[in-house]
Amino acid sequence: MSEENKAPTPSEPAAAPSEAPAPVSSAPAPAAPSPSHSAPSQGRPSRPPGRGPRSDRPGGGPGGPRRGKRQFFRKKKVCRFCADRADFIDYKKADVLRGFVQERGKILPRRMTGTCSRHQRWLGEAIKRARNIALLPFGSQL
Amino acid sequence: MEERLYDLVFICRPDTPESEVDKLVATLEQSATERGGKIEKVEKWGTRKLAYRVRKSREGYYVLLVLRGTRSDMIPELERRLKVSDPVIKYQTVRLDEEMKRQSKLTSRRERRAARRPRRQPAGEQAATTA
Repeated sequence: MSEENKAPTPSEPAAAPSEAPAPVSSAPAPAAPSPSHSAPSQGRPSRPPGRGPRSDRPGGGPGGPRRGKRQFFRKKKVCRFCADRADFIDYKKADVLRGFVQERGKILPRRMTGTCSRHQRWLGEAIKRARNIALLPFGSQL
Repeated sequence: MEERLYDLVFICRPDTPESEVDKLVATLEQSATERGGKIEKVEKWGTRKLAYRVRKSREGYYVLLVLRGTRSDMIPELERRLKVSDPVIKYQTVRLDEEMKRQSKLTSRRERRAARRPRRQPAGEQAATTA
């Protein structure tokens, strides 16, 4: 039941995973966490559903710093491809694709890159094609 | 039938002489035209470092072929030739006509939409690009 990195609860970060008794009386912590635990992309109520293709709204939605183990600042940037109005992500452009891939070769999640869902899908396809043709690695030693 | 668009990328061993590559391309071209295909573009990317070891080499000579055709038996024939040819160590065919259709649909839809209402986005209101 630990909301490690999934549910950004509106409560204090002191609601550390297993400290149920929540001595900090700050927040409506006890009851609130449970529903948001199951919805990985829930958060602030104003979060767009991730389909904001052409507006300037940030693709991932600014949720503020994540609560939980790691406090990430969500990248408030828009989807890079939406900003360029890209309609096709070319698998042959390894240099572009490499920016979306970890050191180890793993594809970066959307929340790190700020890509919108549609482009993330295309991106994944393009990366996989590029991997087949040895333009990108499947995985490298670290 | 509709015309299909394909990207065919293949990689030759790095030590393959240019003449052999050209010969191979010519053979492929011939096989394609025999089956009603057209080679739209031939791009030789030259020797590149491979992201992983393929058939014991870490480098390869990349060639891209863009083809159009209506008959569906063109591609298996080309792939068969690539499979049996010695210098080729990897190949991949991607069918792109549906994607291109979708792309042009999105582009035209975006342009129509932009033309209909007053432009209000400052950031580079240019035609759609390919990333």
